[in-house]
Amino acid sequence: MTRRALFYVGLALLLLAVLFPLYWVVVTSFKTTRDAFAIPPVWLFSPTLENYRTVFANRGFLNAFANSFIVSILSSALAVAVGSVAAYGLAQQPAELRRAREKFILSLRIAPALLFVIPMYYLATRIGALNKHWLLIAAYAFVNVPFAISLLLTFFDDIPKELRDAARVDGAREFSIFWHVYLPAARGGIIATLILCVLFTWNEFFVALVLTGRDTQTLPVSITSFLTFQGIQWGALTAAATLIMLPMIVLGVLVQGQVVRGMTLGSVKG
Amino acid sequence: MRPVAAASDPTRHFFQPIIICLTVASVALTLFVIWISLHDLSLMRAGREKFVGLDNYIRFLGDPRAMAALWRTVLFTVLATVIEIALGLAVVLFLDRDFAMKRLVRTLLLVPIIMTPVVVGLTWRFLFDPATGMANYLLSLVGIAQVDWLGSPRIALFSVLVADIWQWTPFVILLVMAALESAPTDPLNAARVDGAREWQVTWYVLLPMLRRALAIVALIRAIDSIKAFDLFYIMTRGGPALSTETLNYYGYIVAFTNFDISYALAIAIILTVFTNVALLTMYSVLFPKTGDR
Repeated sequence: MTRRALFYVGLALLLLAVLFPLYWVVVTSFKTTRDAFAIPPVWLFSPTLENYRTVFANRGFLNAFANSFIVSILSSALAVAVGSVAAYGLAQQPAELRRAREKFILSLRIAPALLFVIPMYYLATRIGALNKHWLLIAAYAFVNVPFAISLLLTFFDDIPKELRDAARVDGAREFSIFWHVYLPAARGGIIATLILCVLFTWNEFFVALVLTGRDTQTLPVSITSFLTFQGIQWGALTAAATLIMLPMIVLGVLVQGQVVRGMTLGSVKG
Repeated sequence: MRPVAAASDPTRHFFQPIIICLTVASVALTLFVIWISLHDLSLMRAGREKFVGLDNYIRFLGDPRAMAALWRTVLFTVLATVIEIALGLAVVLFLDRDFAMKRLVRTLLLVPIIMTPVVVGLTWRFLFDPATGMANYLLSLVGIAQVDWLGSPRIALFSVLVADIWQWTPFVILLVMAALESAPTDPLNAARVDGAREWQVTWYVLLPMLRRALAIVALIRAIDSIKAFDLFYIMTRGGPALSTETLNYYGYIVAFTNFDISYALAIAIILTVFTNVALLTMYSVLFPKTGDR
């Protein structure tokens, strides 16, 4: 009995350690400045939306929200479209050829982002593309394609080969097999891949920091502006932080099974 | 482009163009990067680039700031990987039993992993605030003097490490948990029947079964720690007194604060080579048998 009690105490401590930082940020975003900085901390307080009003009054932040949205959706859709075509082809190859290609695709994800971001920045300054959305979309699509291919391959592998053979016997051409058999059969996996690409792009900071200009800043870059103006405005900052991460946490929890699977392949990231 | 091969296997057309594009892009990029790193090219002095050979690489070897950053990268990577694996494994063994909320616990463990890294950095900066942060408040409750978490050159790197451990230990836990659940239970029971004590079962039977999963997670965490950037940028910007400047961060400063493109790319190449060497070393240590994947 005591062992059981000890286990639940340990479990509670573990969850506290995991969740407390998140809880503290979200809760602080509903506090007045005075409550936010009170020592000892205030556990019970009357919530205020003041911080959210400050954030929504910030033009740059709203703009960044739109940028993050456009860039993550478009680059992920592009990567999944290209990735699923390639993954379909690769899934049909003999093991040896396939393994070699897979290894190459994974190796693309090991290099530090610095390696391709500096040349991209250099070229972008020369052709004046630094403040353009397409530059960012192209950069993220390039990063996401190898990830999409390797993840989609695992989903396409789950589709029974008999489906393809049956379609071929019926005289279907490869593209219509891909379109009418594989895409519908792997729909869940494709959506999960898309969500993981969006999640990654939405959270990504380094590439965005270097390749965005004033008009194309994404959320993680834009939030750093709260760090410099007259010290740190923790109230507004925590509200902005909550707005940035909550949609992704909800999305991530919805596809939780796929997240871990995708992270294994994907965390060897650009 | 033999028509026979193409006709017999049209699925090649689905991936070959994309693989060719990726290959061309990566080869062109690599050559371009090497070419620039052999020149002296700076955005501050446009149009005055000249070929300097290996000067940037020689400069790296004699650059104390780069050497310190390299050492810090090694320290951070080793500590982050070892602590996260050890802590993660401990938690997995602790949770290895049936209890009511197992699924819920697993879902909650996902939260740090999918949190925006920039927000994770801000969160920990908030908690580590010397005057009003939660960390020092908790210390004061148990009567320990305040700590200047991010302001002291001796401590700052470890404060960033804490944030990294908080975000990525759950990742180790989830992957190792998944491996544990797909592992066969027969050998464990056989050992118990043979009269082995519980710690012996864990050490001699369970751990060897988890070896492969642990090794893969360790590789992933090592690669990511070498490239860590977000936490450093948000929490310390490499300071105080450069005490948290890793090689990746130094490369960023050289490129985008000093605009010394060639030297920055030399650093990026050294970082890539370093990553690959570390990776291959780890790989051969973790998977000593050949042909094991």
